[in-house]
Amino acid sequence: MNRKPSYDFYLILATTGILFIISVICIYAMFYFKIAHIHQSPALIKIQYMERMNSVISPFLIGLIILLGICVPKRLFSTSLLNKFAVLLLIIVAAVSLLFGLKMGLLLLLLIALFLQTAVLFLAITGSIHLKFEKKGYWIRLGSSLIHMGLILFILDLFLYQYVTIHLILFWITTTTCVLGMTFCFFSDPVTKLLSLFSGKKNQENRILNP
Amino acid sequence: MANILGDIPVTFALWGNIVLLVLFSLSVLLGLSGIVNLLNPTPSLQKISTSLFVSITILFFAGFLLICWLHFMIYSKISLVLPADMAGVINKQLNLMNARSSFPIPLYDHSSPPRYLIPVWIESEKYYFWFMCYSFMALVAHFKLTHPRFMASLYLLLAIQISLLFFLTNPFSAALPQFFSEISPWFKQGLNLYDRLGIFMKLYPKLIFYYNASYMWFHPPLLFIAYASITITFCCSIFMLIRREAAIEKLCYEFAKIGFYMLTLGMLLGYPWALKAWGPNWWWDPKICSSIMMWAIYSTYLHTRLYASRPSMWYFSSILGILCFAAMIFTFITSFYFPGEHTFQ
Repeated sequence: MNRKPSYDFYLILATTGILFIISVICIYAMFYFKIAHIHQSPALIKIQYMERMNSVISPFLIGLIILLGICVPKRLFSTSLLNKFAVLLLIIVAAVSLLFGLKMGLLLLLLIALFLQTAVLFLAITGSIHLKFEKKGYWIRLGSSLIHMGLILFILDLFLYQYVTIHLILFWITTTTCVLGMTFCFFSDPVTKLLSLFSGKKNQENRILNP
Repeated sequence: MANILGDIPVTFALWGNIVLLVLFSLSVLLGLSGIVNLLNPTPSLQKISTSLFVSITILFFAGFLLICWLHFMIYSKISLVLPADMAGVINKQLNLMNARSSFPIPLYDHSSPPRYLIPVWIESEKYYFWFMCYSFMALVAHFKLTHPRFMASLYLLLAIQISLLFFLTNPFSAALPQFFSEISPWFKQGLNLYDRLGIFMKLYPKLIFYYNASYMWFHPPLLFIAYASITITFCCSIFMLIRREAAIEKLCYEFAKIGFYMLTLGMLLGYPWALKAWGPNWWWDPKICSSIMMWAIYSTYLHTRLYASRPSMWYFSSILGILCFAAMIFTFITSFYFPGEHTFQ
């Protein structure tokens, strides 16, 4: 089957590339940890090692966050509009980063992604036909929206690392969102059957497939 | 140890070794059937192999019940009881520790002394649990896709796992050796009160943050279920390289979904536990790095799998499925080779 590659396809390839680089950095960190005897070193050396590795991985995590920022609105906009939006988003983030620092730029990007993802989630809950997904089906779309929402919340939660209580509350919200998302996305058929068993209604998937 | 639990460890070792010996004998037969069916183009010994497979899975479960029985006995017979007048001293010490910690340790309650409620997947038992999960899942896969060579590869992998259990990591050879060596000082005769207090302060935090930690009931088993799913995904991925059949890819995805679900949830549940038990300085620990790497490869596999209908992506996603398995083995070996918080060294 020869289909024209979609926007999704290229985003997935880019995500794959970044995840591969992150994997390589992780392997490097493991060997460095062993060879440099970090485990037996004083706390200061350990912290220096953690900070050094954080600085090595941060460009790729930033890349992942930017991809996430572009990935979320693709559910809402057409390709031409998405291209314009992606360029505008990158310009705004770059400007904020220059003025207020990289951390603020990334935080803004995450907050925009969170706002858009909330809209996507709302539309997915209402069963809107205007959302653009590779896969069809109410629960798959809702699940995918929840997984992405969980991912954004997880990265946002890392910004709150020093505030233990808030950090842990947001962590549990993230975990619940991800678990619900994976359940709906991966096991949409059993979920549909189970719900129709309780409600007595016909397959809810049809709401999207045959609007 | 015999003094602590009486005849229980002897009974456990006797019955456990019988179960494992029968398991090993059956697995040798199943492995031979696997080799014959992999090499031979015409399927043979199908019914016998299926009966062997079902028997092995049932026997695995029987051995698991034996492990559960040992743990129940530990819970009901072993407790860290201190004299009533020591409770005030010990709680004063615990309060001092709690004042400096974000995650307080419960105070000692003489009316209900601390007991060991140990999950059934510590020390060598974890391998038993992991391979038992594989046995159950492989049995499901075996009935879902009745391709003789695919089934043969499942048999062979199960035989390899049981051989590892029998020769290298037998959980029945000695009941929880590390745990019993840790608690044996507590049962020494003629200890004075201050020695007992010192041993209590050594044992109690580990009881709370490790043996009795609620996360212990979720974090490791979810990962072992994920490992078992990844093994079946690996088997399917190898077959995807040889044959382009939608049924194999579908089965591969079914197990990959379970594996990814369990892996993600297991890793997430490890996070608050690590904060509680180790504090903040554990990022970039080798096991954490390798787990993140494995998760990254797994999520890449699930993303590329969406485009498996394209010929190039079919092979790319099957190679990623194999790479997931390699990453899993690497992640597991990490605990032996690399130092860190998760080390088995």
